[in-house]
Amino acid sequence: MNMRGAVSIVGVGSSGLSRSSTETPITMAERAVSMALADAGLERRQIDGLVNQIGSPRGPDYDRAASLLGLEVRFGAQPWSHGRFAATVLQHAAMALTWGLADYVLCLAAYRSSNFGKHGSKERNTYAESLRDGGGPHAETPHTGLTAPSGATALATQRYFHKYGIDPAKLAAIPLAFRRHARLNPGAVMQGELDLDKYLKSRYIIEPLRLLDCSVIVDGAVAMILTRTDRARDCPKAPVKLLGVQGLHAGPNEFIFGLRGLGIDQASVFDEQPRWQDQLVYRMAGVGPKDIGTLHIYDAFSPQLLFVLERFGFCAPGEAADWVQGGRIELGGELPCNTSGGHLSEGQLNGWGQILEIVKQLRGEAGARQIQDLRLAQWATTVGDSIIFGLDA
Amino acid sequence: MTAIIKRTFPIDPAQLLPAITPDNEPFWSALTKGHLQLQACDGCGKVRYPIAPVCPHCGGNEWKWRQMSGEGTVFSFARFHRSYLPEFEDLMPYVVASVELAEGVRIFGRLVGRDVKPQIGQPVRLVIEEWPDGRCVAAFELV
Repeated sequence: MNMRGAVSIVGVGSSGLSRSSTETPITMAERAVSMALADAGLERRQIDGLVNQIGSPRGPDYDRAASLLGLEVRFGAQPWSHGRFAATVLQHAAMALTWGLADYVLCLAAYRSSNFGKHGSKERNTYAESLRDGGGPHAETPHTGLTAPSGATALATQRYFHKYGIDPAKLAAIPLAFRRHARLNPGAVMQGELDLDKYLKSRYIIEPLRLLDCSVIVDGAVAMILTRTDRARDCPKAPVKLLGVQGLHAGPNEFIFGLRGLGIDQASVFDEQPRWQDQLVYRMAGVGPKDIGTLHIYDAFSPQLLFVLERFGFCAPGEAADWVQGGRIELGGELPCNTSGGHLSEGQLNGWGQILEIVKQLRGEAGARQIQDLRLAQWATTVGDSIIFGLDA
Repeated sequence: MTAIIKRTFPIDPAQLLPAITPDNEPFWSALTKGHLQLQACDGCGKVRYPIAPVCPHCGGNEWKWRQMSGEGTVFSFARFHRSYLPEFEDLMPYVVASVELAEGVRIFGRLVGRDVKPQIGQPVRLVIEEWPDGRCVAAFELV
């Protein structure tokens, strides 16, 4: 059963992002939902499915969201309260649609993070997870001093630099590229000009990661409406099709912010040589990395782009830090990445800003950031989930 | 047996420690006696961490606790310039390492000492810190 292109995004909306919003998540959600309904040319009563991210305490859970937003749904779902699930949310919507559990599924991400403490602090609502048997979701083990999600990411980055003899300054190409993109996006929260000197003067948070290697937490809401492509012709905008999908990976050899084989957290050390031909997302879409016009990734931290490029076969293991130099990942380059600014500069809405940007780019609505003659856009993360989007069947 | 060093804290560190469970009790209990012990698989002989009911290497369910030598090398390290938690404020900046033990398994631990400048591959040895409530925590020092 090939589901290539069977489901499309037909409407999108956003509340806009803010570093510290005074609005409640449900109010931001409603603004995004109204915009998505208008964009899709649909009535509220037509929405019969809801997949919600991220839930309490940062935002409404799926049941209250449906109640308060006036949605009568017959398929509701919500992943665990973490950021990694944007593709998972879209994939659940696609599965519900192809199985006939719903006809129009609203995917909603609505939350406020600014009223909680920093990641890793006890004021953060997720702190208790780090005390579970086996550690937290990003290898946190506070008694060792490994507190924040950035801790094991720093260990992964340090090991990666050592393994391949990479100059850490090469990492700068990533935050600099994303900032240049953000400066073309009035909705991005980080607008200041950056250069290598500013990057190298940026203070370390957890060495080798600097402040400018870490994402900017924001408040906001994004809504997207998905339907089966055979129904999508009733909607005014060109349907953005899901051409290939690949799920979130997990297991002893996966670390969310590292590469397989690198040996971080529980993962074993081995010589990983990823082949794009082996990956479901490319096989389903019938394309390879060279066909992708723009790549969008979950950049909680800059090195994640290096790891995604290698995991998905855009370049060979150990080559990504050189590969990203010279404007290759910038607008006008060979593979523009995170063209709205990404988590590092647009703001961390757990991937939804990037997926919204993919829709805008494919529709030709990206304004000053528009990539010409774009056919295929890919979402991908360090932990293996991915979606390839396109307009063509 | 590894010597146990008392560590003082600016505030009570109880909120840093995982609860003791039937699964992890032998691990925590051994530390209070000066030993680091981890699970070794009866099937393939490999030592694993974190504590788990099945071997991630061979799928075996039978295992025994094995005492580690306490010798290892720095596999990777990260220097914290932000403490996140007040319990670490007096150590700033502090270094956490992923240590590859001589037995082949890797575990996380703080590198004790001021201004430590580790290199990947550098030998380390286990130190055990006694916390105010009597719980003991594995850490490492550069050799």
